[in-house]
Amino acid sequence: MNVMKKSMMQMLLSTVLVAGLFTSCKKDDHDHDHDEEELITTLRVQLTNTATNATQTFTFRDTDGPGGNAPTVDSILIAPNATFTCAIQVLNESVTPAEDKTPEIVREANDHQFYFITTGTTLAVSNLNNDSRSLPFGLTSTWTTGAAGAPGTVRIALKHKPGQKAAGDPITKGETDIDVTFGVRVR
Amino acid sequence: MRALWKFIWLIGVVLLPSVALEAQCVLSVEVEVKDADLKEPLPGSTIQFIELKKASFADKDGKFVFRGICPGSYTLKVSHEACEPIILHLHIKKDEKITVLLPHLQNHLKEVQVTGYSASKPAMNATTVKGKQLDAVKGSSLAEGIAGVTGVSLLQTGTNIYKPVIHGLHSNRVLILNNGIRQEGQQWGSEHAPEIDTYIADRLTVVKGAASLRYGADALGGVVLVEPKLLRVQPGVGGELNLGMFSNNRQMNVSGMIEGNSLKNPAFSWRLQGTFKRGGNARTPNYWLANSGVEEINFSAAAGWRGEKRGIEFFISQFNTRLAIFSGSHIGNVTDMFTAINSKEPPDFIRNVGFSYQIGRPYQAVSHQLLKIKAFQELKHQQRIQAIFSAQFNRREEFDVLRFQSSSRAPGLDLSILTLSQDIIWDHFGSNKIKGSVGMQTAYQHNYYQQRFFIPNYDAFQWGAFAIEKFNLNKLKIESGIRYDIRSFFNISDNSGQRTFTNRLYQGLSGNLNAIYSLGRGWELGALVSSAWRNPQINELFSDGLHHGAARLEKGQANLTVERSNAAQMHVAYRGEGWEIEAEAYYKNIQGFIFLRPTFPAQLTIRGAFPAFEFAQTNAILRGLDLTFRKQLSPHWQITTKGALLRAWDKNTEDWIIQMPADRAEFHVTYQVASSKKLKDAYVKAQVQHVWMQTRVPATGNIEIPLPNGGIQFASDYAPPPPAYTLVGLEMGGDYQLKNRSVTITLVVSNFMNTAYREYLNAFRYFSDDMGRNISLRLKWPFEFSTINKSKKQ
Repeated sequence: MNVMKKSMMQMLLSTVLVAGLFTSCKKDDHDHDHDEEELITTLRVQLTNTATNATQTFTFRDTDGPGGNAPTVDSILIAPNATFTCAIQVLNESVTPAEDKTPEIVREANDHQFYFITTGTTLAVSNLNNDSRSLPFGLTSTWTTGAAGAPGTVRIALKHKPGQKAAGDPITKGETDIDVTFGVRVR
Repeated sequence: MRALWKFIWLIGVVLLPSVALEAQCVLSVEVEVKDADLKEPLPGSTIQFIELKKASFADKDGKFVFRGICPGSYTLKVSHEACEPIILHLHIKKDEKITVLLPHLQNHLKEVQVTGYSASKPAMNATTVKGKQLDAVKGSSLAEGIAGVTGVSLLQTGTNIYKPVIHGLHSNRVLILNNGIRQEGQQWGSEHAPEIDTYIADRLTVVKGAASLRYGADALGGVVLVEPKLLRVQPGVGGELNLGMFSNNRQMNVSGMIEGNSLKNPAFSWRLQGTFKRGGNARTPNYWLANSGVEEINFSAAAGWRGEKRGIEFFISQFNTRLAIFSGSHIGNVTDMFTAINSKEPPDFIRNVGFSYQIGRPYQAVSHQLLKIKAFQELKHQQRIQAIFSAQFNRREEFDVLRFQSSSRAPGLDLSILTLSQDIIWDHFGSNKIKGSVGMQTAYQHNYYQQRFFIPNYDAFQWGAFAIEKFNLNKLKIESGIRYDIRSFFNISDNSGQRTFTNRLYQGLSGNLNAIYSLGRGWELGALVSSAWRNPQINELFSDGLHHGAARLEKGQANLTVERSNAAQMHVAYRGEGWEIEAEAYYKNIQGFIFLRPTFPAQLTIRGAFPAFEFAQTNAILRGLDLTFRKQLSPHWQITTKGALLRAWDKNTEDWIIQMPADRAEFHVTYQVASSKKLKDAYVKAQVQHVWMQTRVPATGNIEIPLPNGGIQFASDYAPPPPAYTLVGLEMGGDYQLKNRSVTITLVVSNFMNTAYREYLNAFRYFSDDMGRNISLRLKWPFEFSTINKSKKQ
């Protein structure tokens, strides 16, 4: 019924606009719905060296969302033979101030899962933290590097599986919220 | 099911007509069929000698001569799609010439005149769906309603979004006229279905090719006219109740109409109409399509005052729909898409969803309002001036899947467009030799968006002037039109002011010449040559962003130029001796043909790589053939064969053009049941449709397809076209007499064999099968409150 009411209002609006046609054709500033659509623009990977406590942050950022300008991606450059604690942060930087989406993902940890896939590097990702049902979640994880070597990649994906999350889910299951690939160099 | 077969078998055996015995008979009977109101011949009328089991179609002059008739008494039945059938009893002793006047179905003199003399519709190249044919498709979408016309196919997005494709062209290239007004919404989108309630229509007409310049030059593919019944002229109050039930998605349609004409003031008439539609998830032969429901609430009102010399008419309509988008089509990125395609069927958690009326995300909510005011003044010497004003407001909201429970409920895309237009037309129809219309149209549009950017805010101005004349030179009929248009886009902006857009101005001339020559003995030859153009639309110029429900980016090309189509269409037709044959060939040379081209590489986003497309131009050649054969085997049996072929060639890349309908053929057998007191005009029709696999697609393209061995192959599409399929359909209907009222009952079974298939032009063919068996039952119940009419009934 609400829709009907809205439509009636639009009809009325059209009629008013008809009357106003010849007086003004100027582009008016339309009142925008403040209830904006959800947008994830940024993924931050924070690595803390467990030995030195030094932190490094690497970012994938596409502030204007899909399309438009191309995203910017940092290259991950980390020390060999070391262990890091990885913490992921997800943001919407299309608005000011930027919105931190991480708490929302944590709240729905039972429907979400991070995946880490490494190729061509000595980096290994393990020890993903669990959700409340003891299924892997992955907001935090342990990154271990071996010997220094040629550049490789790490793909980080966040899958949304409302009501479907189960043990041993492949990366292909669920809807993709995030799927980014960073270049990795262990040196 | 067994009972149904038995029923069909019984009809076949019991009522199979016996072969007529012919004696030494030499008489001839010439039957001429004319419209009772207009006194114009009605070609294509069916003329039947019931006792002799002889039947034929009237030729283009509305005539047919039966020879070798024995002296005696006969029953002659004459029928035409648009008219009430007539039954005559004849005593034949010598050669006879009979003229039969068929009353028009609505018995609306004015309506007949309108289509008879105005240039609103070309006399030629038009195919109309009306009467029983329309009864069998009412309540379905507009595109499904005209899908039976040869040369028309469907562009589908799942099971509830359909767009008409005429000769391979659609969207911006097909004009839809709703009650004489150009339907203006966001018609550029392939998943933006026309916002039209088919219950409004009294007839649906398809004009193939640029045969009509009355509404704009941009209808390179054709025009679809949705024409409501004219307002009531007999005093009294009456109406119609329509019910529709569909088994597949458990859809229920209710549509009611009530209309009246005042006895005290006979010039005044009115009508109110409303429709409610609700359907749930559709089912393929093997599983339910999660989230594929539909909901529609429509309303219209019309009032008119029609004097001797002048009249005015008001029409408002409102269309509101919510269309669910199949869950399995919602993909995150290119990788997800390949996962979906490679698994062939939707994943288990989607397949295991059962039936539901619930419309969940993603879905579209679209509303369309129309206000029309039309006035006319008759002048001397059968001339008339018409002024038409219209206002339309279209709002399209597209809701994506919620990322989090706490996410905003706002739509991802929210587009609003207001269109105001006015037409002034001078019609002259006094002379038998020359009739025509000259007119001018102006329109203003204001488009704005909220939420995500896809197309910019803009204003548009359109101006057009046309002249269309029809010449009747006995055996030769000529219709010719010329038109000049100016179109501009200005005040183009995006909300954040980040992008800059420049104004656009286009202008051009279009013209056509249509000639039909009667060769005699039922043969006719027709030719249409046309040159029409279309300016690039706003989405083709400036779109930039994410497409709804699909991880797909589209980017406009600001420097596109106009698209011009130079086309020739030829047809040969024969009507007579129980045959009706029509063959139509067309050739369109489209310079600057605008199409979506996948770009390389796919575009990087935070959700992974997205397939990206940009608009590009090429020179295209579209050639095709539409064929119809109809044979009246006996007064009861009729067979029809139809076929449509299309070849679309890209001259620049020397390759086929993607996304064109595959070749198709149809075969129908109709049995006309003998009318009884209770049941009139009943028929049973069985049909088989075969659609070939589309093999004419570009050999290579920009899309990287990962191979099982880890390699990459470049292709023009994400998945190859689906294989050929054959569908069987069944239809039966008739008018059942119930207390003086004739209730029309139609039962249609589509995809009778519950075949699992995928249609190439269905955007969701990557993800799931098409709809399985669907049994629909439609009832049309006319009612009448007035008592005045009874005395002079028929």
